[in-house]
Amino acid sequence: MADNNVLQISAAVLLIATFAVVSRRGFMDWLNAYRYQSIVLAAITALIASITGIWEIYIAAGLTLLIKAIIIPKILLRITGKLTLEVRTEISPYISIRASVLISAMLVALSYFLTQQISIKTDSIVSTFLPVSVSLFLIGLFVMVVRKKALSQVVGLLILENGLFLFATALTHGLSLVIEIGIFVDILVGIIISAILMSRINYTFDSLSVENLESLRDD
Amino acid sequence: MNGNFDYFVISLLLTPVISGVLVTVLRKKRTIEVITATSMGLVLIQCLFLVYEISSKKSISAFGEFFYADAVSAFVILPIAGVGFITSLYSINYIGRQYDTGVLDQKRLVRYYQGFNAFIFTMLLVPLSNNIGIMWVAIEATTLVSVLLIMLYVKESAIEASWKYLIVATVGLSFALFGIILFNYANIGSTSPDDATNWTSLLRNAKSLDPNIIKIAFVFVLVGLGTKAGLAPMHTWLPDAHSEAPTPVSALLSGVLLNCAIYGIIRFHMISSAGMGSGFSGELLIILGVISMGIAAVSIYFQKDMKRLLAFSSIEHMGIISVAIGFGGFLGIYGGMLHMINHSVAKPLMFFASGTISQKYETKAISKIRGIIKTMPLTGALFLIGGLAIIGLPPFGIFLSEFFVLSSGFDNGQFVAILFMLVFLVVIFAGFIKHLVSMIFGTPEKEMKKGELGKLSIIPMIILGVLTIVLGIYLPDHLKELTNDASRIIGGK
Repeated sequence: MADNNVLQISAAVLLIATFAVVSRRGFMDWLNAYRYQSIVLAAITALIASITGIWEIYIAAGLTLLIKAIIIPKILLRITGKLTLEVRTEISPYISIRASVLISAMLVALSYFLTQQISIKTDSIVSTFLPVSVSLFLIGLFVMVVRKKALSQVVGLLILENGLFLFATALTHGLSLVIEIGIFVDILVGIIISAILMSRINYTFDSLSVENLESLRDD
Repeated sequence: MNGNFDYFVISLLLTPVISGVLVTVLRKKRTIEVITATSMGLVLIQCLFLVYEISSKKSISAFGEFFYADAVSAFVILPIAGVGFITSLYSINYIGRQYDTGVLDQKRLVRYYQGFNAFIFTMLLVPLSNNIGIMWVAIEATTLVSVLLIMLYVKESAIEASWKYLIVATVGLSFALFGIILFNYANIGSTSPDDATNWTSLLRNAKSLDPNIIKIAFVFVLVGLGTKAGLAPMHTWLPDAHSEAPTPVSALLSGVLLNCAIYGIIRFHMISSAGMGSGFSGELLIILGVISMGIAAVSIYFQKDMKRLLAFSSIEHMGIISVAIGFGGFLGIYGGMLHMINHSVAKPLMFFASGTISQKYETKAISKIRGIIKTMPLTGALFLIGGLAIIGLPPFGIFLSEFFVLSSGFDNGQFVAILFMLVFLVVIFAGFIKHLVSMIFGTPEKEMKKGELGKLSIIPMIILGVLTIVLGIYLPDHLKELTNDASRIIGGK
């Protein structure tokens, strides 16, 4: 039963880290929250590895720690270090911060509701982490839609991806290692490309607001 | 069982990789052009051999069941190799000209050819991998590589297009991954964990998979890969990306990459159909396909930009293929598969011609382009042939495949869908004719020097133009047999 408590607490910590992203305006806060979230995710992955006794999951946990908690934040910091505070901060999102927190809370409730609707096996790992992973997926999507800065879209994408990773680890004990490594490579390359693109957006438009990116249309 | 294909698949996949490395090392303009064209030639020869083997052995696998290809894969492998080779020839002229005029510098030229080789490699991985996880990784990799190719130009519109493409396609593919994890989960009880992500294993166990989970999983995969295939309403990135990319890349994006995404959808449609009949997934494919055609019809009719016109036409044709697979039945799928090939021949032809035209007229605006037939008779004629083929006039191939699809819909009693399709096809026909006539005939606005833009821009177009005409009149026996096989495999017989 001690195991069960650990699972519950770690799931709660993961959700708190996600809310830190929703409730803050500054990019440094998101980045720290994301780093914190990834460390917790790596710990959870290691925990699942020790419960199930599958050694491949330990490697996935290690890779999570290395890539998501260290390398990706470093890449994003390098790009954003050159930007001014104003460019990095989410000043007027489409939905206010207060409303965002409220909606995110509802998304968490929705995830618990949805995951109970599908008949999926119920061991303690699945029942604890499945709703949390779906919450991460939905909140990531929500952040991407309501924020105006290109940076927030990337952070949203990263949260969403963390949700997917947790989903796969909890439900199927991870896809096989070859696939996991492939996915990690894709994420890493994707982040590098988005970092290059963001610096070009900032250089060209003198801002990181995606509202500048609406000139291609058919009317 | 076919262990001897191990080396073959490795050699095929390594060809573009080695050529990419050589490009990085050697860097000289003429050298990297020749290397890329040679490597694409080698890829084409190997792929033709592979497809020949597929047509005689029905399916091949390598490294256990890690790689697997059957007649359905052949319909993606052929366009990758064929269009890849022809595009590498066209690039020499088009990209070379941009290098000469200073649009691209040495660094970007090398980056273009690196990206080109990497793009072909990632696309080849899609129809060859049996593992649905690896297939996902490959499809996501095609997004990343093609974003890099669109980013080649540092101008506002290209930055906008690549950002939208990167974000929309990646989010879409996350949905697909969600679905793939569910497929994997559904199969995990029936087989060993390593085997559970294999497509062949999923198909074998299709009957014992939990239908509720498969339904949810298929919807997620359809949304995800549908985004990548440009099916409406997830198509928003496509017109931007396809029109802002360098023209040879547009040809690859439209003529080949979309097929890869549709291929993924077909694979999952087969699993879903084998388990619970084709009703559920088929209906979804028909609905998305018809919506895509509708959106394309409106946008084509009122279009102002030549390359966006072609991009929306791609959305239309992906819609037709999706509807064809949804209708099902031997004839419908037969038409759908043939349509993939026909579109892969006609669309690159259109893009090549439009690239040459926009280099000559220095604009992409339809209203500013007049009298192509007077300034560039050959390009104008080929543009016209491509245009008439793409709207489905006889005797071109697309007419035939659209006819098969529509008649299969009649057989299945899908009258509502057919009615909508016919209306949209008429609108597209009218819109295209309107734009084509105004661009090809008439008199050029300003005095222009008459003349084509070099042999290497014409030869690829002539090859494709001849293919377009030939495929409408005569189907080679091997291709006919492959289409038969593919139709039987997808139909589950």
